[in-house]
Amino acid sequence: MLGVQMVKLEHVTKEFDDTIVVDDLNLDIKAGEFLTLLGPSGCGKTTTLRMIAGFEKPTSGKILLNGNQVDDMEPYKREVNTVFQSYSLFPHMNVYDNVAFGLKMKKVGKEEIKERVTKALKLVQLEEYGTRKPKQLSGGQQQRIAIARAIVNNPKVLLLDEPLGALDLKLRKQMQLELKHLQQTLNITFIYVTHDQEEALTMSDRIVVMNKGKIEQIGTPREIYEKPRTRFVADFIGQTNILDGNVSAVNGDMATLELADQTIEIPNSSEVALKEHAFLSVRPEKMKVSNTPIEGPINLKCTFKEKIYVGSVTKIVVRLSDGKELTINESHENIAELTNNNDVYVSWNPENAVMLIK
Amino acid sequence: MRKSFKKAYLLLSPSLFWLTLFLVVPVIFIAVISFTTNGDFGAIIYKFSTKAYASAFSSLYAKVIWQSIWWALVATIVCLIVAYPFAYFIAHAGKWKNLLLLLVMVPFWTNLLVRLYSWIILMNNKGVINNVLMDLGIIKEPLALLYSPGGVIIGLVYGFLPFMILPIYSSIEQLDKTFLEASEDLGARPIKTFLNVTLPLTFPGILAGFIITFVPAISVFVVTDLFTGGKLLMVGNVIRDAFLVEMNWQLGAALSLLLMVLVLLSLMLFMRFTNRKDRKLLT
Ligand SMILES: Nc1ncnc2c1ncn2[C@@H]1O[C@H](COP(=O)(O)OP(=O)(O)O)[C@@H](O)[C@H]1O
Ligand SMILES: [Mg+2]
Repeated sequence: MLGVQMVKLEHVTKEFDDTIVVDDLNLDIKAGEFLTLLGPSGCGKTTTLRMIAGFEKPTSGKILLNGNQVDDMEPYKREVNTVFQSYSLFPHMNVYDNVAFGLKMKKVGKEEIKERVTKALKLVQLEEYGTRKPKQLSGGQQQRIAIARAIVNNPKVLLLDEPLGALDLKLRKQMQLELKHLQQTLNITFIYVTHDQEEALTMSDRIVVMNKGKIEQIGTPREIYEKPRTRFVADFIGQTNILDGNVSAVNGDMATLELADQTIEIPNSSEVALKEHAFLSVRPEKMKVSNTPIEGPINLKCTFKEKIYVGSVTKIVVRLSDGKELTINESHENIAELTNNNDVYVSWNPENAVMLIK
Repeated sequence: MRKSFKKAYLLLSPSLFWLTLFLVVPVIFIAVISFTTNGDFGAIIYKFSTKAYASAFSSLYAKVIWQSIWWALVATIVCLIVAYPFAYFIAHAGKWKNLLLLLVMVPFWTNLLVRLYSWIILMNNKGVINNVLMDLGIIKEPLALLYSPGGVIIGLVYGFLPFMILPIYSSIEQLDKTFLEASEDLGARPIKTFLNVTLPLTFPGILAGFIITFVPAISVFVVTDLFTGGKLLMVGNVIRDAFLVEMNWQLGAALSLLLMVLVLLSLMLFMRFTNRKDRKLLT
């Protein structure tokens, strides 16, 4: 089924009291896709999700669900279900009745309800807990019930608003994989909201990076991580070193970038040729530090500042002549003998540097 | 453990002291008086007697007590029916909320007596209500709105409606709105959301409103006094009369105690009943 369009946002804008919270969003979500809205707190992720669910009306723009325009459709008529951040399990009903609620509202027969609820509870491994009240369950169990309550309705689209935000780290990691597997098993379109970039990279088919109500970039986790288009994306997803300098010359397929008092040759591209000011992003793990320049890759002369052991790698901090600091991740074995305030050379392969558009 | 228990009592002791002084001691007084002998001009003779209870259980007083419970119950139920939509409306009135709440509370600051007088003007035979109904040709003879149980119930409802509105309002106001969204998200139309989520989750407010309306409504005597000129009686009237008119403190005390026990019993019954129903509703 992958490939059929399930959700479409066309120029969707939302204002609250004249403040633009979601700004001209255009998005195509395919059936069976795991799509994540990723961005810092306050960037409009929840509002976007609530517009798809029908709890908020776009100030302008169109929303299509499964090909039908739904802007004026009440939430209870939309074939989407939401897993709320606070779970919102009904406190006066036991687990079974919570999960059965949606089916009861749709007047599904008693026998079928029983069958489907049992199946949903089994899917989240809580079939024994039907008679418990939500408050008798742990946070992780409540989370699973919230998911069961939503998927039991066979929604076309499942909306999840930071569903793992309240869980501790270990449980969160475990649930990330479980949710991913669940989504693959059920083949339901997931629209997932998080501010945790690692979570987004782990779970998603595609990631929509949002900033201040606008889309910064849409792409697969790999594209987002390895080919960030903007400084915001490069910075928000993982860690990176951003070198900004002036393009002083363009000759053929190479361009010259002036960084502090040095120049480096970078591959020319449409972005470079156009701009005087350019930004180059290089991930810490793609850089090396040595006492002498290395033949082949690009070398940048810096001053060694410190090294920090962080378990999996050692972080090396160096300083450019203009004071800007770069961080390099080296595996422990490969670290050269470095002396404080000595000159060192930071090097990387040109293909590991990404030009950013802004 | 033991120590902290003691400490808790120590901290509670001021309130326990006042509670004892103003609640337990008077009740004991009343209980004692109810078993004494009635002397001339209301004198209390400390000689054991159950005569007061014999009269209290006589058919005359039993009828008044039964009538009071019945009227108070009907008035409380009417209050509930009127108050819930009203409270719901206030809770959803946005910026008008505070003003509306103020309007509900204003009558609290005016004496009930004064407020009931204004209803007499509305309800008597030549009052506004009868005039309008007759002018419209809906009725030929003026309705005996006053001097009727219906009038008493109107008075009770009017007098105690705020007691019902406020706790219900507060429970609706405090209801977490995401429960309502969750319900809607799962396909419930607004009426279903109301019946399945809002109503059960605001039940504590209904319960509180029921109790604090019913308890004062059952013993009030100004409504019957003003609206029926003493023609109809509630238990409050006979208790007052026993103390102040007949100078029979023993009877007044016995009736008071009886009323207290009845109210407590009916509240316990009510709570039991609702709890059980609650449980049924939830499982
Ligand atoms: N109902 C509302 N009224 C006014 N402002 C709102 C409302 N809902 C959200 N906002 C504002 O919109 C912005 C985006 O909110 P939200 O979509 O919740 O962000 P996110 O989920 O990405 O953290 C925030 O600045 C928030 O204060
Ligand atoms: Mg949010």
